[in-house]
Amino acid sequence: MHDASATTIERLYTLLARDFELKPEALEPGTRLEDLDIDSLRMIEILFSVEDAFRITVPAEQAELREKVKTVGDLAGYIDSLVAAQHGAGKGA
Amino acid sequence: MRRVAVTGIGVVSPLGNDTGALFAALSAGRSGIARLAGKFHERLASPVGAAVAFDAARHFPAPQLRMLDRVSQFALAAAAQALAQAGGVFEGLDRARAGVFVGTGMGGAETADEGYYTLYGERSDRVKPFSVLLAMNNAPASWIGIEHRLTGPNLTYSTACSSSTVAIGEAARRIASAEVDVMIAGGAEAPLNFGTLKAWEALRTLAAADADDPSASCKPFDRRRGGLVLGEGAAMMVLEDRERAMARGATILAEVAGYGLCTDATHITRPSVAGQAEAMRRALENAAMDAGEIGYINAHGTGTQANDGVETAAIREVFGASAARTPVSSTKSMHGHLLGAAGALEFAVALLAMRGGVLPPTINLLEPDPECDLDYVPLTARAGAQVDAVMSNSFAFGGTNAVLIARRAA
Repeated sequence: MHDASATTIERLYTLLARDFELKPEALEPGTRLEDLDIDSLRMIEILFSVEDAFRITVPAEQAELREKVKTVGDLAGYIDSLVAAQHGAGKGA
Repeated sequence: MRRVAVTGIGVVSPLGNDTGALFAALSAGRSGIARLAGKFHERLASPVGAAVAFDAARHFPAPQLRMLDRVSQFALAAAAQALAQAGGVFEGLDRARAGVFVGTGMGGAETADEGYYTLYGERSDRVKPFSVLLAMNNAPASWIGIEHRLTGPNLTYSTACSSSTVAIGEAARRIASAEVDVMIAGGAEAPLNFGTLKAWEALRTLAAADADDPSASCKPFDRRRGGLVLGEGAAMMVLEDRERAMARGATILAEVAGYGLCTDATHITRPSVAGQAEAMRRALENAAMDAGEIGYINAHGTGTQANDGVETAAIREVFGASAARTPVSSTKSMHGHLLGAAGALEFAVALLAMRGGVLPPTINLLEPDPECDLDYVPLTARAGAQVDAVMSNSFAFGGTNAVLIARRAA
């Protein structure tokens, strides 16, 4: 649903592969999180890592997140939107 | 009532991470107590403890490890060993008839300590996302249940230093009464973090580090005893309906013969001769044994001034004429005080002693105390011991006294 910047999704792949033992080759923008066995608990941990890596704060509303973020690409796009909102567009972390 | 067999024992201890290593260390009278290394440990008045050498990354993949406090890591590793020894214990079993009882005094204390450090020390608001799940006291038992899909009762007992004695005793009762057929029962503790050590230090119950030899800091029953030395680890047992264990051809390591439980209800820390004696009497009564049949007692033997004299008097009261000829040792002199895991580790030690025919010593007992006048197996292990029944004592802050008796597998 979002078009994430290439760097964001690459960084997200790296983070997922390193911290969550996911195979990099299994990761594509369209990969569904539920197909990676990312349940609500694992998602909390991923968001914690994402907050650190991208220096952002992910709002706490779980329901909204579940609605917005279904794939790896969605997550990268969501990260971009938070980076833009919290750091100013284009600056990233 | 059904009889209860022990068919597996697993340990993660300051004296080694399997029963073979533990038994060898006990037989050699080797101490697992040493000077502690840690970020803040130079601020401890007595920086000694009995730590476990445990490479967590070898046991668990990284994502799982982030969900496990050190206490749960120990518990899972010990349970896996016990189950491996019990061999195929769940084959043909409805797993609703199997459960897990774990004793722990302080649960995920390390996670709590780290969380507070983050908040107060680093002044960060970024507490680890799974802090609650790591720190909760029932995490060790829950993880064992999840790992082996055991849907019967899963309970965590927290009665300080008798926690895991209670867990094993209660598990045995469930099997005896035919509510369940198989239980994983034991204890786990990981208290060697700065905050927990400081709290124990403040209570003035910790032994001073021995100036010449830190490994000799814990001196149970010795005139010079100055307190306990904290240790960490876990011990888990597979308990099983004896008939079933025999039917499937399992090796029965011992039989849980008796369990005695009572409460002082007098003082939050001060032990009582009456309470300790009553727990031993109840265990003997439950086992339908006379005191004279007990061939070895693994004492609570903390090395505090208060406990060791009281425990000696309580043993004298219950054992009467046979007290003088019953060997009693405090293996805490070697593995330290594992608090909630102490009872399970020491019951395991007693079973290994009975099976191996070697009574582990009370090391560092060089200056006898007139108040402590039993046979404490001083300094060196006693080989060639023919023991058919053993007792393990656990007496807790809070006053919960628990005693287990095991007999040789018939």
